[in-house]
Amino acid sequence: MRKKKRKQEDVELNVTAMLDMAFQLLTFFILTFRPAPVEGQVLLRMPLPQPVAGVRSGEMAGDRASNPSPLAELNTLVISAVANETGGLRQLAIGETTMSNSLSTLDSKLGKLLGDEGSAFQQVIIQVDSRLRYEELMQVIEVCTRQKLPSGQPLTKLSFVEAA
Amino acid sequence: MSSLSHGSSAEPNLTPILDMVFQLITFFMLVINFKAASMDLDLKLPVMGSARPVDSGGKDDLLVLNINSEGKLKVYGQLIANVDGYIRQEAGASLLVAREKNPNAKVDDLPSIVVIRADKATPFKMLNQVITTCQTHGFRNFALKAMNKADGT
Repeated sequence: MRKKKRKQEDVELNVTAMLDMAFQLLTFFILTFRPAPVEGQVLLRMPLPQPVAGVRSGEMAGDRASNPSPLAELNTLVISAVANETGGLRQLAIGETTMSNSLSTLDSKLGKLLGDEGSAFQQVIIQVDSRLRYEELMQVIEVCTRQKLPSGQPLTKLSFVEAA
Repeated sequence: MSSLSHGSSAEPNLTPILDMVFQLITFFMLVINFKAASMDLDLKLPVMGSARPVDSGGKDDLLVLNINSEGKLKVYGQLIANVDGYIRQEAGASLLVAREKNPNAKVDDLPSIVVIRADKATPFKMLNQVITTCQTHGFRNFALKAMNKADGT
């Protein structure tokens, strides 16, 4: 009878140690849990700033037979962003043409310049005031990356130059 | 004899609680994101409507640089005093990785992507110093991080 009783006894696994370990793991994961914010990004190809025209150093317009017009090799559009004292955007300019700090005006003008079938512009250099805040610069970058080249490709070649 | 029956231990059934704890652990293990360690979550990124989250599936070699509003560079929570030295070192490492995949990888066109996470109040001068240093050491591909909703931090 004794033998039978022993066989019928339940074998209970002591889960306390496993539970302790599981709680420790759980505590670790809870303490280290920091959900990463969903961030967007703008991918840019930023080579070192290149000359804006195909003119060699010291060369005058018309000196070289293969380059009768330096403007013909002009493929870079220069945008200037001027800051106010607080680092906000005060003024924008495309080349020598100044405009207010209106991003919508910049958008429409860039659209005409870059999207035109005869446009040779391949890249944009943004001449940025050293005081300009990153937030304001990103607004200008957003307008630039929205533009499409005549080939239909979006503009991704951007460089920054610090304005003196 | 009655004292014996009082002394018998009452053992609770721990199996359900163990099940629940394991489920919680599984959940946290699945959602844990080690990439977050490289991000300085105190930074307030600029808001940009067209910024889209891109997940390369871990294929791209990324160099995450956090720049605070004072222009200080922070990587994995550590302030980097010698920015040039740090970026040179990273460029060297990037070149080694690139040459393993492609022996003809160029020194002045590293395939790694420099992820810039800068505070929205950072003056351009500070930001440009870091970008120019990266360009000098051969980095050409940049990803500028921004939030696409104003309520995020």
